[in-house]
Order: sequence, then C-alpha cells, then structure tokens
Amino acid sequence: MSEPLTVTPGAVRMAVPLGTRLRRQLRYNLPAIVVFFGVLIFWEVMATVLDLRQFILPRPSAIGAALIAEWPTLQKAAGNTLFEAVGGLGIGVLIGVAVAFTVARWSRAREAILPLAIGISAIPIIAVAPIMSNWFGITNPMAKMAVVVLLVFFPIMINVVRGLTEVDARAIELMRANAASDGEILRKLRLPNALPYFFTGLKVATTLCLIGAVVAEYFGGSSDVLGRVIVQSSSRLRFDVTWSAILVTAVAGIAFYLLVVAVERVVIPWHSSLRLLES
Amino acid sequence: MSRRGVVRGVLMVLGFILLLLLVWEGAKALGGDPWRFQDGSGAEVVYRPPFDWPVTSDRALPHVWTIWNALSSPVQRQQTQTLGEFLFGAALYTGREALLGFLAGAVLGVALAAIFVHSKTAERAFVPYVVASQTIPILALAPLIAFAFGNGVVGIVIVATYLTFFPVTIAALRGLAASDPRAMELMRSCAASKWAIFWKLRFPSSLPYLFSALKIAATASIVGAIVGEGNPGGSQFGLGRSILNFNEQYGSGPEKLWAAILAASLLGVTFFLIVRVVEHVVLRGRPDADMG
Repeated sequence: MSEPLTVTPGAVRMAVPLGTRLRRQLRYNLPAIVVFFGVLIFWEVMATVLDLRQFILPRPSAIGAALIAEWPTLQKAAGNTLFEAVGGLGIGVLIGVAVAFTVARWSRAREAILPLAIGISAIPIIAVAPIMSNWFGITNPMAKMAVVVLLVFFPIMINVVRGLTEVDARAIELMRANAASDGEILRKLRLPNALPYFFTGLKVATTLCLIGAVVAEYFGGSSDVLGRVIVQSSSRLRFDVTWSAILVTAVAGIAFYLLVVAVERVVIPWHSSLRLLES
Repeated sequence: MSRRGVVRGVLMVLGFILLLLLVWEGAKALGGDPWRFQDGSGAEVVYRPPFDWPVTSDRALPHVWTIWNALSSPVQRQQTQTLGEFLFGAALYTGREALLGFLAGAVLGVALAAIFVHSKTAERAFVPYVVASQTIPILALAPLIAFAFGNGVVGIVIVATYLTFFPVTIAALRGLAASDPRAMELMRSCAASKWAIFWKLRFPSSLPYLFSALKIAATASIVGAIVGEGNPGGSQFGLGRSILNFNEQYGSGPEKLWAAILAASLLGVTFFLIVRVVEHVVLRGRPDADMG
C-alpha cells in the first residue's frame, strides 16, 4: 500500500477540490432530496386538506412537535435500546468471529456447519424472545441482548467464513512456494481477504441489532425503551408520539449504519466495492 | 445437487438435531431439576443432577419428552383438541398469511427493481428510502398498519409484505443489471424492444440472484406474519397469537411455549425448503446457479 507510484483511491479523492466534490455529491443525491421534501410537503398538505383524522396519520409538523415535547422520554428510551442493541451486537460479533475462525480452520466442520447455519437462519428468532425473558428475567437487558446475539451471529459467522476461505488459490500457492507458515498465510492473506466480507456482515448486523432489540422489547420488560414507548403510545392512540419514536429508531439505525460504513472506509480503503462508489 | 448430496444433507441435519437433543438433555442431566423415571424392573428411581443451574431448571428449559408429551395432551383443560392439533392449525393459518405476504412482497420487489433498472433517476430517488425502510423495526409500524387496515388478515399480510420486499428488490436490482453485456448487445442490434429484453434476457439471468433473496424472504414473511398477529387486536388465531398467549401462561406450562416456538421454526424451515426445491427445479442445468 505504501509504494510511492500506486495511485490509491484516497489520493484521487484528494486531487478533486472539495467544492467540486460536494457539488457532484449534491447532484447525485438531488432526486432523493427532492423526493424527501416532496413527500413531506404532500403529506402535510393532504393531511390538512383532506382533514385526515389525527390519530391515523399525524401531520409531519405534529410529529415534529411530539418529538420536541417527548424528547426527554425518547432520549432515555433510545439510550436504553441502543445499549441493548450495541451490547448484543458486540457479543454476537465476538462469538460469530470466533466460531468462524474455528469453522474455517477445519474444512470438514465447514462442510457440516454452513448448510446447518442456513437452515437455522430459517428459524424466526423473535419467537425465542419470550424464552430469553424467562431465562434472564424480564427486566434484565441481557434478555434483549441475547435475542440480538442470536440475530447477528449468523450473518457475521457466514461472511467471515467465506472471507477466510474464498481466497485466491494462486496466492496461497505463491505463499506456500515461498515457505510461508500457516500463521503467515492467515495474517497476510486470509485476514485482509476476510475484512471486506466481515464488513458486509457487520452492515447487515447493525440494522438487525436495533430491530432485534426493539422487537425483543415488544414481549415485555422495562418501559423506558423505544419498543415499549411505541407499543404503549399506539395503544393510547397517541400516534404522533408513536411516529416520533419510530423516527428516532430509524435515525439511530441509519446513523449506526453510516458509522460502520465510515469505519469500513478507514479500515479497507483499498477494496474495490469502495472504489466503485467513488466513480 | 445430486441425489447423494441430498441424502448427505438430510443425514447432516438429522445428525445435528440429534446433537442438539444430546446437548439439551446433557445440560439437564448436569444441572437440571431432579426427575423420576422407572427403571427396568418398574421401580421408581429419582435422578438427582450434580449441579443446580437456573438456566436448566424445568421452568427455563423443559425436558424434550415433556414438550413431546405436551403435543398429544389437551391444549387447555376440558378441551378435546390436543396441543399438536392446535399448533398445526395455527401454523396453517400463519403459513397462509405468510404465503400471501411472500407473494405480494416478491411481486412488489421485482416490480420496483424493474423500474429502478430502467431509470437511473428513479433509482437514485427511491433506493435510499427502500434501504432506510429497513431500519424501521416492523413492530413499530405493525400497530399503525393494524389500525389503518383493521384486525383482519389484510393488516398481517401487509406486515409480511413489508419484510419480504426489501431483500427481493435489492437482489433483483442486482440480478437485472447483471445480464451478459454481449447478449444485451446482440438483442439491441436485433432491435429488440425493452419489453423483450426484460423478459427474454434480464429476468431469466436475474433468477439465481432472485432465488437467494427469496430464500431470505421466505423466513422473513413468517416473521412478519408472527409479528403482525402479535398486535394488540391483531388476530385471534395463528402462531403469533399462540406464542403471546403461551408466554402469559408460561408459569403453568412452559412446554407449551416451547412447542409453539418449535412449530414456528418448523414452519420457517418448511417455507425455506419449498423455495429451495422450486429453485432447484427452475434453475436446473444452469452452470451459474448458486445451489447453497
């Protein structure tokens, strides 16, 4: 990576002036931005003109007002839910990576485990949420984390196994011919090869972990969490609060996802999928 | 996949189930509650496990045979219907909703992808929101959908559709754009219409991508139906309702909840296998098919 003559994508990016880059980004995203504001205005106008009943589909301005009014509750709830989601994600990633290394090391285990993993991922994990509540206690955040762990485990494990094993056979051959040890092949070839796959799995897992946490909260537990706020406010027909909580959940999910994308850009700037995004 | 491969796959799954049962009962034997059984001569013996772990108590993790026996005993006292029959009916009910949601989601997903693949502007305008839609936990929308569409099947099917369309859209978009550029050139130079290119080239070459998404969508549709039923006022029948009801009765019969979860898992695996078989038939003889 440090060879002076190689033009890395990062270097190309630096060469384009910042203003041009921003303008290009803006032009690329213009349709999405237009749709966003178009839908908001359409929604607001239609709700006012048709005089939609407030509890079916609150106007965007009503949702905004609820967001501000309920902010202390929402902030606390979002913090608790994020704690469950991130905790579960962390544990799930650790277990997933550990199992992936074991599975990738023994090819027989790989043959047996991959089809099974596909089969197990066909089980609706949310059905396990009540059991977890019974194991860990219904108010224990561990119960929610356990559901998240089950959800994120498979995408991480399967992707890391692929990354560790789907290595260019010629590269292994070359390293073997130069008397590289298994450890060196792992460090210098398999690990760098697995990183993009790991990030693919991690991106799937970050959206799953928030959804998993909120769905697990659905089956009861402490009330200071986003899932309970949503369920309780909608049962009181306070749909403006429901929508503001949904908004907080979605924004948290997107922010979390973008964070992983940013980390990915720093860790594997050399990967082709990122270069494709640049052009 | 060859016939031998199928046999091996089935054996592997059976082996795994056996392993799971061994681990399950092994944990019970090490740290569960004491239990009674009759030895060879018919005398009653009490087995006392050496440890006492909270996770392996009879309340937290019932014996495999307790769950098995529960399937053939009445679902509630003074009822003739057994738990097994009840769960089978519930699974059929949920499966029907999930199937409708799955079909609607698949059609919607392919239609969206077909629009996006023909219009770059539409793709840039809407794909970010298709992706963002998945950061909204479906649970959050489920009560609103139930409220807007009533307590019937429609609301539940919409929840299942919502969970199904996303993987299909993304994979179909990729698949429709991934057709062989030489074939595309050939069709263009023969003045083929966009319609003909779509049905004769783009759609067939997207099928392998589509099927790997449909396998994900098959499970997702079941999750959607279960969550949809779980709504306050969602549905009276179905597995989602049973899971919630048995969860409330967990203290008096934990094995019922376990049996309901088992039924949900079996339904998920069944859907997955059906899609897998259809994939096998449709993609027969293709070298590029991902038969994973």
